[in-house]
Amino acid sequence: MAVNQPTQEYLLPCGRDVETVWERIDEVETGRANTHDIQCPYCGAARESLKVLRDLTGVLAADDTEPSRNLTNRIMAAVRADVRRHNMLALPTDEPGGVRVSEQAVAAVLRFAADTVGGVRARRCRVRQADSDALAIEVDMSIAVRAGGFTAAAIEQVRDRVTAAVGARIGVRLARLDLTVEDLYNA
Amino acid sequence: MTAPAEINLRLPPPDDAALDEGTLVARAREGDVQAFEQLVRRYQGPMYRLALRMLASTGDAEDVVQEVFLTAWRRLGQLEQDAAFVGWLYRTTTNRCLNVIRARKPTTDAELDQHESAGSSGRPERAAETSAQMTALTAALDLLTSEQRACWLLREVHGRSYDEIADATGTTSTAVRGRIARARAQLAEVMAPWR
Repeated sequence: MAVNQPTQEYLLPCGRDVETVWERIDEVETGRANTHDIQCPYCGAARESLKVLRDLTGVLAADDTEPSRNLTNRIMAAVRADVRRHNMLALPTDEPGGVRVSEQAVAAVLRFAADTVGGVRARRCRVRQADSDALAIEVDMSIAVRAGGFTAAAIEQVRDRVTAAVGARIGVRLARLDLTVEDLYNA
Repeated sequence: MTAPAEINLRLPPPDDAALDEGTLVARAREGDVQAFEQLVRRYQGPMYRLALRMLASTGDAEDVVQEVFLTAWRRLGQLEQDAAFVGWLYRTTTNRCLNVIRARKPTTDAELDQHESAGSSGRPERAAETSAQMTALTAALDLLTSEQRACWLLREVHGRSYDEIADATGTTSTAVRGRIARARAQLAEVMAPWR
């Protein structure tokens, strides 16, 4: 079928195709109809059908039918089963046997700490063991800041809160923190 | 660090419920399950409605949505731009639906129609479909080719761009415009009794 004549098979007896009638609805409704628009019974009938379709399409677009509540749970159960925690960090312990924590879990805690600063949202957060010290970590974090709300003080606050969280929540030392402001968001 | 910060660490940030999409996608890409769950809650509705109109089966539509989001979780790392996420969801949902329809082929479309309308229990009662017009439109949608139906739904109901639809359906935007025009003409014909 010819793509350059998409509606050839929907020609009206007057020689216009349905798509032309569709494209001219706005003109007709805003009082810019030409003689053919007004007088042609075929175009008139097609136009009325298209207007019914347009109204129904609006109803479809406004439809807010949601899937069953269970679907979110099904999806998230499959996602959690898929999570692989391969990168682990050592934690200090006085007891025999090591304690380790996944880098993902540490990153989640640190993102959370950064989020507590107003107008800041943590995004990427990479955590790795410091070369110098097995009980210290290096963190590379990117953040988005609220448009118009960017201040150096807020960035320093992020640094303070992340540093505090590394010590208080994770129990290791922060050897290095690289912060990148990568985006603005509108709130 | 001072005590207030300690307390804050236990509380969700005040604007957590409305995180921007870029932040959510960046976090989900990092393996943040909670951020991904927010993306699921935000976008499962439109993907489900697209799949439901494509497949006319709540069970099949939910299966497609589940597969789409699990694939999204696994492939987030390959997504070039955070902003491309929604377009990716629409493309993948459309493709899955078209695959499901192809796999059904032993049953003809007409037989499927009868089956679906006979067993109306498969469709939840919806205010939007109570009118005879909507019933007629739904039946007419099912008579379009699956490609026409996908193009028309993506454009007219979900407001996607012609380029995006072309990408989602593996064709050119000119062909997309043609399919939508044909779909519109066929659907309008069915509306004739109510004009």
